[in-house]
Amino acid sequence: MTAVRLNINGKVIADDVPPRLSLADFLRERRNLTGTHLGCEHGVCGACTVLVDGEPARSCLMLAVACDERDVATIEGFAADRVIEALRRNFHQHHALQCGFCTPGMLVTARDLILRGKASSEREIREGLAGNICRCTGYTNIVTAIAEAAKETPHG
Amino acid sequence: MADEGYGVGASLLRREDDRHLHGRGQFVSDIKLPGTMDVAFLRSPHAHARIRSISVPPEGRGRVFTAADLPRVKPIRVTSHSTGAKSPPWPPLATDKVRYVGEAIAACIAPSRGEAEDLANAVSVEFEVLEAVVDAARDMRGSRHTVHEHWADNLYIEHVLQGGDIDAAARAAEIVVTREFRMQRQSGAPLECRGVLAYRDHRLDEVVLYASTQTPHTVRVALAEILDLEERCIRVVAPDVGGGFGPKARLYPEEIILAALALELDHPVRWIEDRSEHLLTAAHTRDHHYKVTAYADGRGGILGVDAEIVVDAGAYGLWPQGPYHEAGMVARALPGPYTIPNYRAKHYTVATNKTPLGPYRGVGRPGACFVIERLIDEVARAVGREPNEVRVMNLARPEQMPFTTIGGMRLDGGNYAESVRLCAELLNIPAIRVRQQRGEPDGRMIGIGFATFAEQTAHGAAEFAARGASIIPGFESCTARILTDGSIVLMVGIQSHGQGLETALSQVAAEELGINPARISVRHGDTESTAFGFGTFASRSMVMSGGAVARASRMLRDKLCRIGAHLLQCDIAEVRCADGVVSGPQGSVSIGEIAKVAHLRMDGLPPGVDPLLDATATYEPAIGTGVYSYATHGAVVAVDPETGFVELIDFAVAEDCGTMVNPMLVEGQIRGGVVQGIGTALYEEIPYDETGQPLVGTLADYLMPGAAEMPAIKIGHLHTPTPHTEYGMKGMGEGGAVAPPAAIANAVRDALAAIGAEINETPISPRRVLAAIKRAREAAAKA
Repeated sequence: MTAVRLNINGKVIADDVPPRLSLADFLRERRNLTGTHLGCEHGVCGACTVLVDGEPARSCLMLAVACDERDVATIEGFAADRVIEALRRNFHQHHALQCGFCTPGMLVTARDLILRGKASSEREIREGLAGNICRCTGYTNIVTAIAEAAKETPHG
Repeated sequence: MADEGYGVGASLLRREDDRHLHGRGQFVSDIKLPGTMDVAFLRSPHAHARIRSISVPPEGRGRVFTAADLPRVKPIRVTSHSTGAKSPPWPPLATDKVRYVGEAIAACIAPSRGEAEDLANAVSVEFEVLEAVVDAARDMRGSRHTVHEHWADNLYIEHVLQGGDIDAAARAAEIVVTREFRMQRQSGAPLECRGVLAYRDHRLDEVVLYASTQTPHTVRVALAEILDLEERCIRVVAPDVGGGFGPKARLYPEEIILAALALELDHPVRWIEDRSEHLLTAAHTRDHHYKVTAYADGRGGILGVDAEIVVDAGAYGLWPQGPYHEAGMVARALPGPYTIPNYRAKHYTVATNKTPLGPYRGVGRPGACFVIERLIDEVARAVGREPNEVRVMNLARPEQMPFTTIGGMRLDGGNYAESVRLCAELLNIPAIRVRQQRGEPDGRMIGIGFATFAEQTAHGAAEFAARGASIIPGFESCTARILTDGSIVLMVGIQSHGQGLETALSQVAAEELGINPARISVRHGDTESTAFGFGTFASRSMVMSGGAVARASRMLRDKLCRIGAHLLQCDIAEVRCADGVVSGPQGSVSIGEIAKVAHLRMDGLPPGVDPLLDATATYEPAIGTGVYSYATHGAVVAVDPETGFVELIDFAVAEDCGTMVNPMLVEGQIRGGVVQGIGTALYEEIPYDETGQPLVGTLADYLMPGAAEMPAIKIGHLHTPTPHTEYGMKGMGEGGAVAPPAAIANAVRDALAAIGAEINETPISPRRVLAAIKRAREAAAKA
């Protein structure tokens, strides 16, 4: 067991974890933050995307011990985040989710695209979503929802 | 139809969204019960082997369960009433033999999944490896080894479907087109893999199984039989399910074993499938081989089609429908919506040492559509006409409806040719032809392709009985309950896993009761709270469950009106139920007030009217053979002849699913289906080597469509309500996935016309495109 201290969604959490425990399993199993989903566990599908120190990261490929003293944000966080609020509203408005399994990771990635100014065209959004698989929607409505949210929050 | 903005026909936004947008959905792996232990399965590394011995390390005692440790578990066995059908027993944990890579041998239990996998790795199994049966077409008549040793061959079933006189068609034909086609094996690959959580509830004397399934009620039916329990002692719950698409509409060995373990142990157990396990062991799909000849007259009129269809169905039959459905559906759907007068389809369903084949969006039809639509285009080329001209001249015409195809599909109505025209219009074909003529500056070649199909949906008793099925999913149920405050709960036997049925079914009740859907809850996926139903598959839930909701709601409306008329002191003929109130000539009374009388103040009930507002109804469409949606899909591609890469430039769908309860949801289903069809067409494939080893195991080598490769998909609607269902709606969940392989293959053929290359195999990977170009160039050089 290794002692770790993480700042998760603004709260400092101390725990002892096995060195091989992934960040995703730590969040889901130890912290009950089950909005972070596991679709492949090898870094392809993007369903487990969270922010680590503000950057999108595959929580299935990161170890919890590697996140010691770092900030982690999951879909359950983002309480007063304007961009996530705009994304949620537009995902709803444009029917950009069906089963909902990819949605949390999709939102975290989309927020990052908007904040980095990488959501100004359909092509740019599609390229930006290359690491997030959705099996249900066919992407059209996701791209529309992100484009609309980007228009509403031009400077993030 | 309602114009208030929430009844039938409204694009009401989804009630499902909020929980998912906040990460508050509840999937199986999200459910936490104290004391839960994780299960990992030890699986066969061999395609075909005898198990000589299994040795469990000392630390595994009491934590490793083999078939011998769970004697109450009986094999899975599918029954079929079709002549000559063979049905092998499938022990949920292998006993003496394994028959595919990934077959479960032992369940290993530990506090975490990692530790359970460690334990599975510590168990050693001694195998005697046998030769694997891997080539269905070659080995169906038997080889040195059969998959099931007491069988004389490897055929689950063979059958001939025929109509007219194919030999006469052959004699009369001016044009003969013969081709081989192949649709490779793939996975359904919902983003959430499978998962099961099971525990024993001693207070209720039941085993509770949370499972990521599309069919909770029938899973319970099977568990009761296989575990020798009464159904009252089993509860199956499908919570949020992260996509299904067919593979989750079957019973799996893992569900049986988890239930059996819960009965043995004094703590909850759970198994959460990982992606590699899913690609290896969840139902595979497609895997069709075809040899087909089309006979046509000199103008392209199809006189007959002669087909040999081989389906590689893997090692066992998945319960309840077994391995039989796929080839049967292919054979019946292959003539498409065309007026082909003569037909013969010999079809073979073959056992191999591969993962069992199950349903996936479209079931058989993507292959059938691929074959007939490629043939239409080749006949058109042979007679020197535009493919769409030949397509339209062969399509069933509106004045012929209802039209029964030579495959036995009874098309109930619509204007199929108009869907071809509309689809071409959406793609602006004249502009594309100009671009095609001009040539691309980067040397890529532009092509356009179309495909038209009919989609049998919501088929009922007549259809499944004709298939020889032992379980006949011919109806759905709804219990509608108005509570004491006038709020409503609908309890339905289907399961919703992304389709938005919680929203759409509430719209149906809103339509009938005049109540805002915000006051209606929809409960599904739980055998405890819902009357028996079959679940969600075969594009059936909106028609069947929607019909049941409409009926149950009307029963309640009648009772509301009766009580309301009494309270308003008028005749029942004078009242109407709308906008949340029952109103008569002199005033109105709210549904809430009536509900209070029906429950809490029964002294206000009219004489002879019982308390409660609670109605259960079942529904089967007026026609048991299904109602038919249809569509034409069109694809525009750019093919790079140097790399073989196919880029989709544009894609359009012109479809007719009758009355749309929620057009927004319909379009969502179409776009999602199309992208899955594009996956079949261009990317997804599970190849096996000669020893029966699958060659993909991750999403890095199993390619799923991503946002960057997909075009925005254009949709146009035609509206032909069917007379056979409530509101005239037709199912449409699968159609999107049916035609993309055909339309894209036709587009690639069009792009490469100058080279003379055609690709009659999916996925149309760069390797296959380059090989086809090479073949065509070599043939041209020889000529």
